[in-house]
Amino acid sequence: MRAVRVWFKKEGRAKYLSHLDMNRCFTRAVRRARLPLWYTEGFNPHPYLNFLAPLPLGQESAAEPLDMKIEGEITGAEIEKRLSAVLPEGIEVTAAADPADEALSIAMAEYGVSLLFGEGRTAAAFAEKSGELIKSGLLTAEKTGKKGRHKVQKQINICEHIFRYEISASGTVCSLKATLPCGSQSNLNPSLMISALKRETGLAEELITIRRIRLLKEDFSEFR
Amino acid sequence: MLNPQLEACLQSVQKPGRYTGGELNSVVKDKDSIRLRYAFCFPDSYEIGMSHLGMKILYALANAREDTWCERVFAPWGDMEEQMRKRGVLLYGLESGDPIRDFDLIGFTLQYELCYTNMLNMLDLAGLPLESAERTALTPIVIAGGPCVCNAEPVHAFADIFLPGDGEEITNTLIDLLIAHKEKGSSKKEFLLAASKLPGVYVPSLYDVSYNGDGTVRAVTPQGDAPAKIKKSVVRDLDAMFFPESFVVPSVEVVHDRAVTEIFRGCIRGCRFCQAGFIYRPIREKSPETVDRQCRDICLSTGSDEISLCSLSASDYTKMEELLTRLVAWTDDEKINIALPSLRADNFPKELMEKLSGVRRSSLTFAPEAGTQRLRDAINKNVTEQEMLSTARQAFEGGWTSVKLYFMLGLPTETPEDVAGIAELAQKVVDEYYANPNKPKGKGVTVSVSVSSFVPKPFTPFQWEPQDTREQLEEKQRGLFSHIRTKKISLSCHKTQTSLLEAALARGDRRLAAVIKTAWEKGCRFDGWDELFNFGFWEEAFMEHGLSVAFYANRRRDCGEVLPWDHMDYGVSKEFLIKESKKAGENETTPHCRVKCAVCGADKLNGGECDARCKGLV
Ligand code: SF4
Repeated sequence: MRAVRVWFKKEGRAKYLSHLDMNRCFTRAVRRARLPLWYTEGFNPHPYLNFLAPLPLGQESAAEPLDMKIEGEITGAEIEKRLSAVLPEGIEVTAAADPADEALSIAMAEYGVSLLFGEGRTAAAFAEKSGELIKSGLLTAEKTGKKGRHKVQKQINICEHIFRYEISASGTVCSLKATLPCGSQSNLNPSLMISALKRETGLAEELITIRRIRLLKEDFSEFR
Repeated sequence: MLNPQLEACLQSVQKPGRYTGGELNSVVKDKDSIRLRYAFCFPDSYEIGMSHLGMKILYALANAREDTWCERVFAPWGDMEEQMRKRGVLLYGLESGDPIRDFDLIGFTLQYELCYTNMLNMLDLAGLPLESAERTALTPIVIAGGPCVCNAEPVHAFADIFLPGDGEEITNTLIDLLIAHKEKGSSKKEFLLAASKLPGVYVPSLYDVSYNGDGTVRAVTPQGDAPAKIKKSVVRDLDAMFFPESFVVPSVEVVHDRAVTEIFRGCIRGCRFCQAGFIYRPIREKSPETVDRQCRDICLSTGSDEISLCSLSASDYTKMEELLTRLVAWTDDEKINIALPSLRADNFPKELMEKLSGVRRSSLTFAPEAGTQRLRDAINKNVTEQEMLSTARQAFEGGWTSVKLYFMLGLPTETPEDVAGIAELAQKVVDEYYANPNKPKGKGVTVSVSVSSFVPKPFTPFQWEPQDTREQLEEKQRGLFSHIRTKKISLSCHKTQTSLLEAALARGDRRLAAVIKTAWEKGCRFDGWDELFNFGFWEEAFMEHGLSVAFYANRRRDCGEVLPWDHMDYGVSKEFLIKESKKAGENETTPHCRVKCAVCGADKLNGGECDARCKGLV
C-alpha cells in the first residue's frame, strides 16, 4: 500500500458542488476508473480518500490535493488519465504523484477574487475603500467556531489574518488577491472577508468568482 | 459555460448543485448536427426526479438517436424560482443551459397527481403559455406520460398529447413523426391529427366532453376520425426493449442513487385498491440474463456499489434464484450490494443466502393494509395474520428488534372493528417478540405503524367508491390512537387533506383544469410536500369555479355513470372491475394470476399473451 496525492482543478459548474458531493463524486469515480485502491475493512468497505483542504461550496480551485491509498501497480500518469475521464464536468485531474509534503504542513492559501459590479465607478470605489479598510487594521467579522463540542459565534479581526493582499479595479471588475490562513490550525474563508468588506463599504457586486490559486506552507513556499 | 444571469441565481440559492448539470454520463451533443431537441421534464425536485427509473430509460432512449438531443429539466425549488423570475432566467435544459422554450418537444412524466401545479409552473417558467390552445406554433409540442395519464382529464388543457402506457416504443415513433412534420413545415393542427392516428396517442383537443345537469359526464365525443377508445401502449418483449448502458451519475445527493433495473412489469396480485397493480398489466417478465447484463453495464458505467431490482412485488419474479445466483457471481468481488425489497429470503438455498451476506438488510416491513382478515379479503390483500406473525417470529429469532407495518384507513366496507384490528395486529407483533425466549437482553421492540388514507383511483375495482370525508378519517385516526396502549407501538397517520386533494384530482374531469390553474396562480407548488401544501388555496380554487372537492372525492358513482376516463383503454375491462367490486362487497377473494387467470382483459393489448398465465407455475 502506498499513498498517492492527486491534484485536481475544480471550476465552472463543478464549483457548486459541496465538499460532501466531492467525496461522493470521487468515491464513484475511483470505482468507475477501476483504480487498485486500498479499501477499509469491515461491513461496508470504502476507499480511503482524504481531501486535504476542503473547499467551500461556490469557490473554484486551480489545484486541490486529494490523498488516496493504492494497493496495486499503477503509474501516476495512468491514474490521472483514468480519473479525468470519469469525473463530472469542471473537475479535472492534473497530476498524481507521491506526496512531497506532510498534509499538516498546509498553512495558507492564495486566493484570487473577482467582483463584477453594475458600473465602473462602483468597482473603483469598492477597490479604494476596501484597500483603506484593510490598511486601517480593523475589519471585524463573526465566525462560527467550536468551543468543546458546542458551536459558538466569535468576533474576529480579519486584518490580523491577512498575510498578503493586492486590490485593483479595471472597468466594472474589482480584482483582489489575498493570502489567508488555511488548514487545520487556522482557517479563514475568503467569502467571510468579502462579506465584511461589502458590509463596511455598503457596496454589493452582481457576480463574484473566488478561486484558490495555490496552497502554501508556513515559509510561503508552495505545498506539493 | 453557465451564463452570468444563471450564475447570479446560483449564488443566491440553497443547493445550487441541482441546477448546474454537467454530471458524469450526461449527454452533450452538437446543436447543429441534430434535428430535434427534447426537454424531458420531471415535475418535482432534482433529488426525486434523478431517482426515477423511467426518466433514465427515456432520456437514454432519445439520446441513442443521432438526430435527437434530450436534456433533463426538474422543478426549481422556491428560492430558485424566485431568483429566476427576478433575473429573467427562463427554464433551461440542464445539459445545454438553453431555454426549453426553443426546443421541439417538451415531455412531462406525471407520476402522482400532486405534481400537477409543478407542471404548470414549469411551463410558465419556460416562458410558454400554459394552455395547449394558446401555443399555436408547431413547436414546442408538449407531451405527457406516466401513470396519471390513465385519467389525464384534469390536465387535458395543458399538454398537446398524452401517451398512456409504456413509453419505450411510442417515444421513438412520435419523434420520427415530429421531425417529419417539422421539416415539412406542417401546422400544429396537421401534426396533431397525424399523431392521433397512432395507437397509444391521446390528443385531448380532438375530444368534446358534455355534462349532465348533476355535474357528471354525459359523453366524450371524438371529433372527425379520432379513435373513440385510446389504447395504452404495451411493450411486448422486455428483453428486446431498449435499456440504457449508462445512467447519469448525480453529483449531489439524491433519494436513490444506485444501479436499478426492472425485473418484470405488471402485478399478479390484484389488490383491489392498487392502481399500479392494474394499469401496468399484463405481466411481462425480463429474463435473468438480461437483468444481469443490464446491472453489470450500469455498475461499470456509473461506479455504483448497489443494485436494486425493481418491480411491484419482487417475490413474484419466477426466476429470482437463478438471477441472484448470476448476480452474486460477480457482485461479491466488486463489493456491490444487492437491495432486495420485500423479499421472502427464507425460500432460498443456504449457500445462496451466505453469498448474499453483502445484501444490506433494509428494515423489516409488512403491508397488511387492513387490520382484520375480513377487510383484507375484501381488498384482496392475500396475506394472513399467521404468515405475518410467523415471519415476524423468524425475524425476531434472527435478532431483529424493529418492524414497520403499513395500513390504510378509509378502505371500502371498513367498520370500527377493522380500525381496532390495526392496533390488535400491531400488539400481536409486539407479543410475538416477547414470546421469543432468546430475545436480546435489555432490548425492547419497536413496531412502527404507518397509516395512510385510502384514495380511490381510476382503473381499480374501487373506482366507483366514495373516499371517507376528512371528518370520518380523522375520527378513525383518533379511534385508532385510543386503541394503542403501549409505547412499543409508534403510530403515525398521514395528513387527510393531502389524500382528499389526491382523490379529487385522480378522478377529476376536464373542469378541474381551471381549478388547477387557479390554485397555481394562488401560489400552489410542490403539493406533495407537507411543508408547502396549502389546502386553503385549493378549496378557494374549487369554490371560485363553482365546484367542490367532495363531488370528486366523496361521492359514490353508479356503475352506469360515464367516467371521465372511460375513453381510455388500459386493457383491464370494466366488466372485470365491476365483478371485482362486487366480490369486494361480499368479502370474497380472487386468487392471484399464477393460480388462475382472472380474465382481466389486459392480455388483449399484448396479442393475447400474459407471462403470468402462459409460463404458469414453476
Ligand atoms: S390476463 Fe389473466 S393472468 Fe394476465 S394479468 Fe390479467 S388476470 Fe392476470
